[in-house]
Amino acid sequence: MSGPAAIAVRGLRKVFRQATTGQTVVAIDHLDLDIAPREVVAIVGQTGCGKSTFFDLMIGLEHPSEGAIDIGGKTPYADFDYFRGRMATVFQQDRLLPWRSSYDNVRLPLELMRVPEDVQRQRSMHWLKRLGLENFTNAYPHELSGGMRQRVAIARAFVLQPEILLADEAFGHLDEVTAAELRETFLALARECGSTAILITHQLEEAISVGDRIVVFGKSARLLADIHVAKWDKSEYGMLREAIQATLQGNAPDVRFAHERRITR
Amino acid sequence: MSHDEARAAELSAGFPRQTLVSIAVFCVLWQALSYFAPALGIPAFAIPGFAKIWASLIKITPIDVLVTLARVIGALILSFVLGVALAMAMYRSTSLENYLHPMVRLFMAVPVVSWILFAVLWFRGVEFRIAFVLIAVCGPVFLVDALDAMRGVPKELRGMMRSFRPTPSQFFIKLMLPAILPSLITSWKINLSLAIRVVTIAELVGAVTGIGHQLAVAQELFSVADVFAWTLVLVALLFALEAVVARFERRVLRWRA
Ligand SMILES: Nc1ncnc2c1ncn2[C@@H]1O[C@H](COP(=O)(O)OP(=O)(O)OP(=O)(O)O)[C@@H](O)[C@H]1O
Ligand SMILES: [Mg+2]
Repeated sequence: MSGPAAIAVRGLRKVFRQATTGQTVVAIDHLDLDIAPREVVAIVGQTGCGKSTFFDLMIGLEHPSEGAIDIGGKTPYADFDYFRGRMATVFQQDRLLPWRSSYDNVRLPLELMRVPEDVQRQRSMHWLKRLGLENFTNAYPHELSGGMRQRVAIARAFVLQPEILLADEAFGHLDEVTAAELRETFLALARECGSTAILITHQLEEAISVGDRIVVFGKSARLLADIHVAKWDKSEYGMLREAIQATLQGNAPDVRFAHERRITR
Repeated sequence: MSHDEARAAELSAGFPRQTLVSIAVFCVLWQALSYFAPALGIPAFAIPGFAKIWASLIKITPIDVLVTLARVIGALILSFVLGVALAMAMYRSTSLENYLHPMVRLFMAVPVVSWILFAVLWFRGVEFRIAFVLIAVCGPVFLVDALDAMRGVPKELRGMMRSFRPTPSQFFIKLMLPAILPSLITSWKINLSLAIRVVTIAELVGAVTGIGHQLAVAQELFSVADVFAWTLVLVALLFALEAVVARFERRVLRWRA
């Protein structure tokens, strides 16, 4: 594997027209963002600020109204098929297929790539085991707890060994202990696979514990702060947390981020 | 005991007692009526006793049953394939849907008798006429149900599936078809009972085989016993087909448990 490519978001804009009212909503307004290969980035922002829309554009489900996302010279929407097997998403709800067992859910992405059956089996079982699901390979989603279902969804993403991993509030609806545990697993596996990982979260604790970098979105995905967590000492995490909170509340960068590399334009 | 368990117990014990009782009561009343019919001024042939009906039953010609069965199954399979294929095309193309939807609604409003008359006036081949009527009646049901079910597939699942970048055919085979399978099975149940009833009417006109034809013969002979016997066969046929579908349903929808 050659490893992931850098992600360059340039002047990204996404406008929706509401079907009923005809009103336009600017979900993303001229976003510029660079993500280095293998970087782990947390995106925080208030509800409705365009985080999921950003992911839809990253995945290539929607096309940008303006601007572009460039990943190693390719764009997710226009070069849709190029990214088959290179990108995987864990969604907020597990989004498992209810008629498939855990095992069949996990091997779905490999099936779509027409990987040989024995490789499918071996890789799916490997990841099911890694996520502690070896005794539930034949269970249907309705027979599993929420945490276990989310584990299956994570295995389904990792089975691809993707270059880019996306997680949209993947641990948000789980209890704190389970969420922390799964987040740890997720991050450890992402680093082990050498994937670039982007996590959307509501919880600041989660964002801070993710590590490398925290990107704070304001209304219409305006870049309010771009924080390199390594520059902050562990003892300053309380202050960091408050600063992010203040940024979110004021919809403007907090003064404490003045020394950060890049602030909004 | 939950509702499901009660149902399971019911199925394993065969018919529940109430069903047996109501059928027995009906039989006794019918038999009594057949005795007293002359005294009540009803002609004797109108209410034949069970001895006569039994005599008609053992004269049932299996070939007619098989012919009707083959017509029903053949036409249903064709309706299913056409209906689902068209539904997929309409799902993928909004403009096709906008053009076809009113036509389908119109089709569904046409009474069965009109279809039969059209078939008789337009086509000469008996088999073709019967197939035409059955497909005209059952096809739209499959189409509308399949299309509705496809619309109902959650946006979340469609987004998840697309995020793994399937080909269009993979998208349909791995997501849409399994997702709409429960509705498809329900449409099969509806269409089976519809087709069994419609096929006999269609066979009344011009066919020289099949249960509908035999019913027409019985009517010409004023034989209520024969009509009764053939009707029993039809009902039994429908129940048997429904049982087959139910078995299939239990097998493929295990995941719903
Ligand atoms: N398909 C769509 N059609 C119209 N408007 C949309 C559509 N998708 C999103 N929007 C609008 O775009 C804005 C951003 O939505 P988005 O789902 O990206 O928010 P979010 O940051 O993910 O919020 P949350 O944290 O609650 O998930 C919202 O105002 C929403 O109403
Ligand atoms: Mg969201």
